[in-house]
Amino acid sequence: MSKLLFPLFVVMILAGCTGEDWRTQDVSDVLPPLDFKLVNENGNTVTEQDYAGKATLLFFGYTHCPDVCPTTLARLRAILQQLDGTLRDRVQVLFVSVDPKRDTPESLATYTDAFGPEFIGLTGSKAQIDDIANRYRVSYSYDEPDESGNYNVSHSSAVLAFDDQGHPTFMAIQSEPNEAVKADVAKLAKMVGQH
Amino acid sequence: MYPFFRSLLVGVSALLLSTGLAFASDVAVSNPKVRLMPGDIPSAGYFKLHNGTNETIKLVGARSDAFGMVHMHMSMKKDGMAHMKAVPEIDVAAGEDFEFAPSGYHLMLMKRSAPLKVGDDVVITLEFEGRDPMPVSFKVVSPAAM
Repeated sequence: MSKLLFPLFVVMILAGCTGEDWRTQDVSDVLPPLDFKLVNENGNTVTEQDYAGKATLLFFGYTHCPDVCPTTLARLRAILQQLDGTLRDRVQVLFVSVDPKRDTPESLATYTDAFGPEFIGLTGSKAQIDDIANRYRVSYSYDEPDESGNYNVSHSSAVLAFDDQGHPTFMAIQSEPNEAVKADVAKLAKMVGQH
Repeated sequence: MYPFFRSLLVGVSALLLSTGLAFASDVAVSNPKVRLMPGDIPSAGYFKLHNGTNETIKLVGARSDAFGMVHMHMSMKKDGMAHMKAVPEIDVAAGEDFEFAPSGYHLMLMKRSAPLKVGDDVVITLEFEGRDPMPVSFKVVSPAAM
C-alpha cells in the first residue's frame, strides 16, 4: 500500500513544482533555464552558477536610461521592501546592461547601489550580451547619437523571473499591476530551497 | 458703523479674491521632483503643469544651472520594447493639466554641474513660447523613493 502510494506522491510533488500558477505571465514552458557568461561589478567573469540558490529577477537596460529603467528598478525595490526580511534575502535582481560601451562595471555598481544590495549589475562584451539577449528573445537597438554623442537605447522592458535553480517562472511587463508582481515575487521567494 | 472693520473686511476679501484669481488664471506647477541618479548618470525631472489661463500654452523646453543639458523626453512602448524620443514642444490647452510622470514624459537632466543630494531643492526653469520663463523649485528625491 505505502509502496504504491510513495511514487505517486513524488509525482504529485514534482507536478506541483512545475505547474505553479502565476498572476503575471507564465513563461515556464517558453523560456530556457538561466545560462550566461557576463562580467560583474568588479570586472570578473561570472556565470549563472555564481547566482544559484536565490530567486532571480532579470532585467535588461542601461544606465543612461533616465526614466523606464529607474522606474522599473524602483518598483522592484518597493516590492522587495514589502517582503519579510527572510524572503527578501532570497531574491536578487540582475540588471544586465545592453550598453557595454558606456556601462563599465564601476558605473553599474554605482547605479545598482542606488536601489539596494539585492540589485546586481552585469555587463560584458557585445557577444556575451547578445548571447543572453538572444537566449531570452530580448531585443535592443541603438538610436542615432545626438550632436553631443548621446544616444538612446531601445530595449525590452519586461522583468523575467527564475527560481533558485534557474528555471524560468514568470514574466512581468511594465503595465502589470503592482499587486500581481508582488504576489508572484513573494511566491517565488517562498519556493527557494523547497525543491 | 464700524468703518475700520468694514474696510478691513473688504481689504481681506479683495486680497483673497485676488490671490484666488491669480492662482486660477495662471500657469502652475505641482509636485516638481528630480529623481537623482548617482555619478554622471542622467537624472529625470517630473511635475504636473496646469494651464489656468484661457489660451493654449506651448512648453518649448527647460534649463537649469545645475545641469549642462536638459531635454524634454518621452518614453514609449512598441512591441514590448521601451523607446525614448526627444519632444521639441508640448501644447497644453486652456484649463488643462499635463503631467510629466515615470514611464511617460520626463525632463532628461544631463551633465550635472552642481553637487546635489537627496532633500535639496534645485531650480529648473520652464520655457514657453510667448510667455515669461517660469523658474520652478524641484525637490531632489532618491530613485528608490519613487
